[in-house]
Amino acid sequence: MDILFFVISMVLFASIFIFLGYLGYKKTKTVEDYFVAGRKMGALLIAFSYGATFISAVALIGFSGIASVYGHSILWLAFLNVFVGIFIAFVVYGLRTRKMGLSLNAMTLPELLGNRFNSVKLQQASGLIIGIFMVAYTSAVFLAIASLFQVTFGIPYWLCVVVFTLVVGIYLIVGGLYAVMWTHAVQAIVMLVGMIILMVGIYTMLGGIGPAHEAAAGLTPEMLKSIGSPAATQAPNGLTSMPPVLSQPFMMVLTLIFGVGIGVLAQPQLITRYLTAKNEKALRLAVPYGGIFILLMTFTAFSIGPLCNVLMYQNNIMYPTKEVAGVMVANPDAVIPTIINELFPSWFILIFLFAILAAAMSTAAALFHTAGASIGRDVYEKSLKRKISPEKSIFITRIATFAIVIATLIISLNPLDVVAYMTAFFFGLMACTFLAPYTLMLYWKKTNRTGVWVGMLGGFLFTIAWYILIYFKTAPKIIGTPLVGNYMINMLDPIFIGLPLSFLLTILFSIIIRQDKDEETIMKTSFENI
Amino acid sequence: MKYLEEVPMNLILGMDIGVFIAWIGTLLATVLCILYGLYYQFIKKSDEKQRPTSPKEQDKTQEEDL
Repeated sequence: MDILFFVISMVLFASIFIFLGYLGYKKTKTVEDYFVAGRKMGALLIAFSYGATFISAVALIGFSGIASVYGHSILWLAFLNVFVGIFIAFVVYGLRTRKMGLSLNAMTLPELLGNRFNSVKLQQASGLIIGIFMVAYTSAVFLAIASLFQVTFGIPYWLCVVVFTLVVGIYLIVGGLYAVMWTHAVQAIVMLVGMIILMVGIYTMLGGIGPAHEAAAGLTPEMLKSIGSPAATQAPNGLTSMPPVLSQPFMMVLTLIFGVGIGVLAQPQLITRYLTAKNEKALRLAVPYGGIFILLMTFTAFSIGPLCNVLMYQNNIMYPTKEVAGVMVANPDAVIPTIINELFPSWFILIFLFAILAAAMSTAAALFHTAGASIGRDVYEKSLKRKISPEKSIFITRIATFAIVIATLIISLNPLDVVAYMTAFFFGLMACTFLAPYTLMLYWKKTNRTGVWVGMLGGFLFTIAWYILIYFKTAPKIIGTPLVGNYMINMLDPIFIGLPLSFLLTILFSIIIRQDKDEETIMKTSFENI
Repeated sequence: MKYLEEVPMNLILGMDIGVFIAWIGTLLATVLCILYGLYYQFIKKSDEKQRPTSPKEQDKTQEEDL
């Protein structure tokens, strides 16, 4: 594809976002405007923004690559993405979060926790956790997209990272959440177009749903081995069958499904979307739009991943590889780009690259905004211990966001090994830290400050310890050999133990130590409209 | 395509039962989301109009109604 044509398209693409950033700047007058888009968003914008934030380039490219290794069993994650990530998230969490957020005048998850339990320190601690780990996670998103562009176009990695960070940073810092949500709408449409064409294209090449799946089911381990596909060993019962219960592939699929599928409920950048709704109906009507959007994203990505093996086998394409420490290993991340480069027309390559770029930009913008708000509003502003003007509050957060953008840029240009694991880290960490306090805060009136502190820190410390000492992906890189050798334990996502532990600790300490009078009063205010 | 002869017989749309449940479950979950939206769009009247969550919102609702 012509690089010049791509560069011109890229400039146009970036110009649209920077223009939307300018419009957001003109519309941002109050603190609410900057942090929660004035609480004026309608159903479609909420759904698109939530979906575009939720689905990153890693989800589209990385997870379809994983599906090419483990087969269609990963579709259970698509089910959880729609049922838990949209239906349960909006109906069980979103509606109450918005009401409580209004009653407590909260605009971020840490502020919601801090105001609900009358604790500035709680707000600061949770803001700090979110801010720090979100920077590393955002770097991982950048790393993935910049590597893709380097491989596809030969554009130097550093140039991709700098341009990408500048574009996102400019429209985000200038335009606040208005700009972020408007750009999300544009990005979501680009993602939809890209994924729909990809899905239709692949199923058409293979003769429809039934024939395509039957072709995948018919691939034997020998056939998969002949194209170098890791599915030969990782999908022992075939690409369209569940792996044997408690086998290593089964544990891998299980940990992915629950780590991401349940972890989505406690993502601070997604929780912010509930707070932007103009009314309850907007949140309720976002459910169908969100459901359809996620279906077309994850269901498509996970469905076509295994089918790429069939296309590779039929067209004599070898499974992509990469060099790790001098050894060539399978590279699932390159499966979809390989298929598109080999079998799709060049006009679609451009559309798909923009779809992936849109997915990465939308997630990065939402993460920057949430991290900036966490550090600026929840940590720094609260440490001032005095009331400041709305203009100054926005200014502080803009500076904090700028600092986070620069920090992310530096980390992305000098990526540490640990950054690459952050995508696996982040969902589990946020879930084990915040999901129990957040759920109980919304539904159990007796939840108190001590319980939330213990539950939050207990879940956080347990998860960090699990990743360092036991988890099979991270522990070997940090301590050499995991403390537990049994794969049925060290392949488990920490969410399986950390989440129940966090719930238990929050409930236990809320029972042992009673609420004080201030907490009781605030609790009554919180539940007034629920 | 010779390898199609080796497709196992106990498959639904080319998938085994565990995968098929996930596949159809995802589609049904989306249908649930759509039905939920349709219910609140056309059948159920909003609770919020009768019970606004804050005075500010009450003003907003009144403005929207106007």
